Amino acid sequence: MTTQVSPKREVGYLSELLQQRPSLDVQAIGAETVAWLQEIRDRSTPIVRELAIPTTRDEEWRFTDLSSLLKVNFAAAKPTSPLPDISSLVLPEAAASRLVFVNGFYAPELSSVAGIPEGVFAGNLWANEIPRWRDYLAKLPGGQEVFSALNTASLTDAAVVWIPKNRSLEVPIHLLFVSTAGELPTVSQPRCLVVAESGSAVTVIEEYAVCPHPQPLSHRRGGQEYAAYLTNAVTEIWVGENAQVTHARMQREGEEAFHVGKTAIAQARHSRYTCCAVSLGAKVSRHNLEIFQTGEGTETILNALTKIAGEQLADTHSTIALNHPYGTARQVHKCIVGDRAHAVFNGKILVPKPAQLTDAGQLSRTLLLSPKARVDTKPQLEITADNVKCAHGATVSQLETDEIFYLQSRGLDADSARNLLINAFATEIVDRIPIASLRQTISQIVRSNPIS
Amino acid sequence: MSAAVKTLVNQPYKYGFVTTIETDTIPRGLNEDVIRLISSKKNEPEFMLEFRLRAYRHWLKMTEPTWPHVTYPAIDYQDIIYYSAPKQKAKKNSLDEVDPALLETFEKLGIPLSEQKRLTNVAVDAIFDSVSIATTFREKLAKEGVIFCSISEALHEYPELVQKYLGSVVPIADNYFAALNSAVFSDGSFVYIPKGVKCPMELSTYFRINSGDTGQFERTLIVAEEGSHVSYLEGCTAPMYDSNQLHAAVVELVALDNAEIKYSTVQNWYAGDENGKGGIYNFVTKRGLCQGVNSKISWTQVETGSAITWKYPSCVLVGDNSVGEFYSVALTNNYQQADTGTKMVHIGKNTRSTIISKGISAGHSKNSYRGLVKMSPKAEGARNYSQCDSMLIGDNAQANTFPYIQVQNHTAKLEHEASTSKIGEDQLFYFTQRGISQEDAVSMMISGFCKDVFNQLPMEFAVEADRLLSLKLEGSVG
Repeated sequence: MTTQVSPKREVGYLSELLQQRPSLDVQAIGAETVAWLQEIRDRSTPIVRELAIPTTRDEEWRFTDLSSLLKVNFAAAKPTSPLPDISSLVLPEAAASRLVFVNGFYAPELSSVAGIPEGVFAGNLWANEIPRWRDYLAKLPGGQEVFSALNTASLTDAAVVWIPKNRSLEVPIHLLFVSTAGELPTVSQPRCLVVAESGSAVTVIEEYAVCPHPQPLSHRRGGQEYAAYLTNAVTEIWVGENAQVTHARMQREGEEAFHVGKTAIAQARHSRYTCCAVSLGAKVSRHNLEIFQTGEGTETILNALTKIAGEQLADTHSTIALNHPYGTARQVHKCIVGDRAHAVFNGKILVPKPAQLTDAGQLSRTLLLSPKARVDTKPQLEITADNVKCAHGATVSQLETDEIFYLQSRGLDADSARNLLINAFATEIVDRIPIASLRQTISQIVRSNPIS
Repeated sequence: MSAAVKTLVNQPYKYGFVTTIETDTIPRGLNEDVIRLISSKKNEPEFMLEFRLRAYRHWLKMTEPTWPHVTYPAIDYQDIIYYSAPKQKAKKNSLDEVDPALLETFEKLGIPLSEQKRLTNVAVDAIFDSVSIATTFREKLAKEGVIFCSISEALHEYPELVQKYLGSVVPIADNYFAALNSAVFSDGSFVYIPKGVKCPMELSTYFRINSGDTGQFERTLIVAEEGSHVSYLEGCTAPMYDSNQLHAAVVELVALDNAEIKYSTVQNWYAGDENGKGGIYNFVTKRGLCQGVNSKISWTQVETGSAITWKYPSCVLVGDNSVGEFYSVALTNNYQQADTGTKMVHIGKNTRSTIISKGISAGHSKNSYRGLVKMSPKAEGARNYSQCDSMLIGDNAQANTFPYIQVQNHTAKLEHEASTSKIGEDQLFYFTQRGISQEDAVSMMISGFCKDVFNQLPMEFAVEADRLLSLKLEGSVG
């Protein structure tokens, strides 16, 4: 889907990253698995070699400058010992259905799968199950851009969730990817695969968070508590016929983090996919969200909230590629931008000729809270089918002075009035987070970081 | 839908005739000598030749843009004739000296140039291939101090004015086609409205491409001094040829304090036949600079012709409280491709802009809206409202929107809306049930769809545009 035009540049940087990929351990995972993973890696490696780290000259990266990334030399993350304390990140709703990866490595000690009923699979790549996964892992349509190709070329392990036919899973599954930023810049490349077979239903929470390093740092470097780290994540979700996947994606990386994530979803006939993506952390973050419709009558609901401040940059590029009739798509993307932060949104909806009777709506709303805050947004429709209903809208504004005045006239001070309005703006999305405790956490974060 | 709509869209192009006339044509190809030749043919001042050569040298270093959502075979720039003019004796002092064949051509196009027949309140500059044939009402305008003439004449008579403003809004290296135009432009209109003058009549330029292998590169420059006001209209037609022709124009508008410029275009170049053969490549750079406080520039365009349209009339809002407006109807049929829209660059405080774009695509055509709204860090209190609606007729047509929104000031306020729909079956049914034929119903609905834009056109042209649209669409709905 994402085409890249950059000529080959920064060759050294990418091959260095490629060099850093963990080797496949035959003893731990078995020869057959190694062979299979190696085959997947080998398919992607040449793609990485062909491509370059995009620059602002690439249309898809016009507003997201990665030059600060190129200044950092990342080394592969290593398994940490002792393991970090994740108690603050545990969701009570998913207390016994949680997979934890620390710096990209599966941490069975921190995970808990006791609550996963039989027949449902939630775990990391596991030899016995591989035949089932062959058709799904790294098989999603759409071209590979450099970061997802790099992830695939470095594929070592993955969080896998498999819901069998007609099974509705009550408990949500929490996929937690924790980074423990250390003294040196590290890179980790998490991978998720979610397969919901026909008629099934599941809620998946994918979360990227930072945890203090379990061992105190020997010295603090120039006011910076942790070194930078890069998370390059890829998630593939297969929604079978009549299946329903509710997906919450929380990005709460550390202040010095770079986060590049891709979520690709294939939606079969009459399936429903709901996504709630929240981006709060990272110095530079980019989320590519790609939906491919593989059958008619699908329903796609995308909600997203980005709240950034300081010098943060948060970029979301979404594509909804319809190709069958009777599809419905609803997208609401909201950004709250403070200080000198910079939000980027590009939302594509493709409605080719076969996608007759599509009903698509897209709304991008941005709140700029400070004089230096900046937003670049581009809702984009490409339509060939004539019997469709498509609309998009975009607004950018600051807080209404009238509204602040009204609240002040009711006895609120200016700051409380502003915060109340900012919360109200965020609530539309926060309320759609499927898990109550998470909803609370996020709403607290939004509230506790007033942007002035 | 019915066959009625199909016949409605597929109206023959009635301006497709060729005028046989003896012409002064230079050999094909482009190099510095050709540019010198054009410059010397027009007997231009020295600074102009330098301007052209500088542009040409820039152009050589540039590459053709590939980002528009259009496809066309590579253009061979050496296979184009860059200058072609009807032969005529010396200088025309009155219309009597203009070749009768030319007058007849313009009469056939509905633009009578002779005194008795002309529209009473519109001054016309008629441009035929590379040169201006005649400019009407010059004396009357001169009384008010308004200068309205071809740009070649302006270069002789008001060189300081031209030198001051030419290239000030669209720099020579602005883009590939603007650079090419700066190097080889042959003629165009020049308008100067002095301080405090409200131009007493509508000004208009009529562009006619006649010759088959020439490219037309015209240049229009409008300067509105403090407190002045002008309304300007351009129209364009071309004969039907099987080959594609390049038309790369540049239009520059400058509005000083409290000035207002209203620029309307009815573009009806030959669009190619129903199989997409022939037609004009319309690669145009239009930009207005609201330099003064409270100035206003308003673009209205009705784009129905051309095989390919690549055109983004823009406003650079520098002066505080300045206003930019863009009203557009773009209609594509058969294999036409349009990638058009606007750029509103807000720089001054409290600048405001409005964008209303209506796209109608029928047949196998592609119609894209591409727009940029940029609020720079200093644009305190800037305001923009954009609305882009598309209507699809038939399921082989394409409608795309690419709105770029870049906001760097938190006090700015911006809204953008877009929708895509087709002509509703139930609406059609309602009309026919009331005894209105399907064809009339479709053309009514389309003119209703475009009303917001047509309302902005000067009266005579609004009627014309409405009719043009229904003619163009004849037979495509059905």
